[in-house]
Amino acid sequence: MNTHLALEFAQPHLLDTLLALDAAQLDTLEFGVIGMGIGADAMVRDYNAFESKEAGLSKERVIGHPLFTVVAPCMNNFMVAQRFEDAAAAGQSLDLTVDYVLTLRMRPVKVQLRLLADPGAERRFLAIRRL
Amino acid sequence: MSVEAPDDLAQEHEALLQFVYMAPAGLVQARSDGEVVMMNPVAAQLLMPLSYDGDLSNLFTALADIAPDLHSRLAAFAAPQGMVCDGLHLPVPGVDKGERRLFAFTLIKLDDTRVMAMLQDVTWQAKRERLLRQQEAWLSAILTGVADYALINLDTRGCVTEWNESIGRVTGHGPDVVGRSMAVFYPEDAITPARVQDRLHEADDTGWSLDDGWRQRAEGTRFWGSAMIAPQRALVGDNPLAAATGAVAEPDYCLIVRDMSAHRDAAESARHAAVCDHLTGIGNRRAFFDAAETELRRWHRMPRPLSLLLIDVDHFKKVNDTHGHPVGDAVLRHITRVMGETFRQLDVLARIGGEEFTVLLPAADLASAQCGAERLRAALEAQPAPTDAGPVFCTVSIGIATMDEGTTGVDALLKRADEALYAAKHGGRNRVCGPPMVLAESA
Repeated sequence: MNTHLALEFAQPHLLDTLLALDAAQLDTLEFGVIGMGIGADAMVRDYNAFESKEAGLSKERVIGHPLFTVVAPCMNNFMVAQRFEDAAAAGQSLDLTVDYVLTLRMRPVKVQLRLLADPGAERRFLAIRRL
Repeated sequence: MSVEAPDDLAQEHEALLQFVYMAPAGLVQARSDGEVVMMNPVAAQLLMPLSYDGDLSNLFTALADIAPDLHSRLAAFAAPQGMVCDGLHLPVPGVDKGERRLFAFTLIKLDDTRVMAMLQDVTWQAKRERLLRQQEAWLSAILTGVADYALINLDTRGCVTEWNESIGRVTGHGPDVVGRSMAVFYPEDAITPARVQDRLHEADDTGWSLDDGWRQRAEGTRFWGSAMIAPQRALVGDNPLAAATGAVAEPDYCLIVRDMSAHRDAAESARHAAVCDHLTGIGNRRAFFDAAETELRRWHRMPRPLSLLLIDVDHFKKVNDTHGHPVGDAVLRHITRVMGETFRQLDVLARIGGEEFTVLLPAADLASAQCGAERLRAALEAQPAPTDAGPVFCTVSIGIATMDEGTTGVDALLKRADEALYAAKHGGRNRVCGPPMVLAESA
């Protein structure tokens, strides 16, 4: 049971681990996780409890909506959205950690984003932890 | 029932939160020292590239590079609340891919402790607007009847970047004109290097800069023409990159010099009626205030010498009383003719009262303004006005004011010139007086 809680933001092979978890298991994590489809609209598939609490948005409001245009337009730029698109266009896998500032509940918060994608996987992930 | 109410409230709260998350403009609430209380994602997205370490805890610090004076603007805003600035355009140096941006910034003082700010990236709007303006200017350049026109590309400094046939045809200049300032197309006393910069700045600000007047061909003859400058760059503002490297950049401005000889009379008479004094043909009050306000705007952007002469005809009432008004009118015309011979084309001459004239002297400091004023005074003392009643001698008193930091506007400048004129009158007339400090020095 505790194996999930022990999952680390920075651990290796995070993408494979996240792909294997169901929604309830994602909710036990101590960092934010947003899962999205591989389509160009980046439809949100997973939105874990940690992220929901930090952002103040319930899962119902977010899941099933395009991430970069409707849910988090602040990440629709060359640092985040563009990198997912570039990786998809090049058919390459992506595992990149970037420093970023999110405005969680209207307060600027320094975070690290880990961008995870693989051409063979049917979901992509964005992991978020506060600095 | 009682359970549902807080639930609704939570739902509403969440919807509101999402509404602000998705707002397409940057919104910030801060304390009066700039410390951020709340900020939405677009604000963070716009501010982050400006911040050295991604620290967005203070709005004024985050904007320090592009708007260093926000703190003082807010401090200088005396009202208890209100708009400190509204849609202020802030050019943002390029980051990453080097593309320059333009932000529109609005700051509202809520009370003594809180401000609200709105930030928008208006780069594309500005670009579109500029293109529209440019098209409009181009259309007017092409559609307005002209004898001929030259199309000249200029760099950031206003220097010709390449030669073409239209330049040869209209101005007579050969390929050796490349690299020379656009001032080469003007008579020598009609433009200064600072004025070239002013025109470029004005083109940046408004999309184009247009002026009618004498132009000069390579061999020295003059023609009546108009010069329109339109910025060619995609974005507003300077181009520090090109300036720093000294590289010969792509053309930054397009200058169209039109030969208006054929249309001069019609265009001039229309302009004349609006801004010229009917008796003497020099500028009227309106022309003076228009020109003075333009010069003061230029001064505030880039302070450089700027002086004003206020001229009053000595004992003019006696001339009228003795010889009648037609002779008085001839005296006034004589004075403006001598003024025209004394000052440069760049200087703005105007009649702002019955026997009161002004000369606005761009690029003239106190010493050269004094020189010009003295030349005029001496010339009028020496040359009588030819009138139907024979030659009539008439002298003038002149007050000088020079623009400085403490002068708030045209009225203030005029008032200081008036004080100097008063001193000249009371010093015995037929003399030139400057600011009080100079009087003390020469005493």
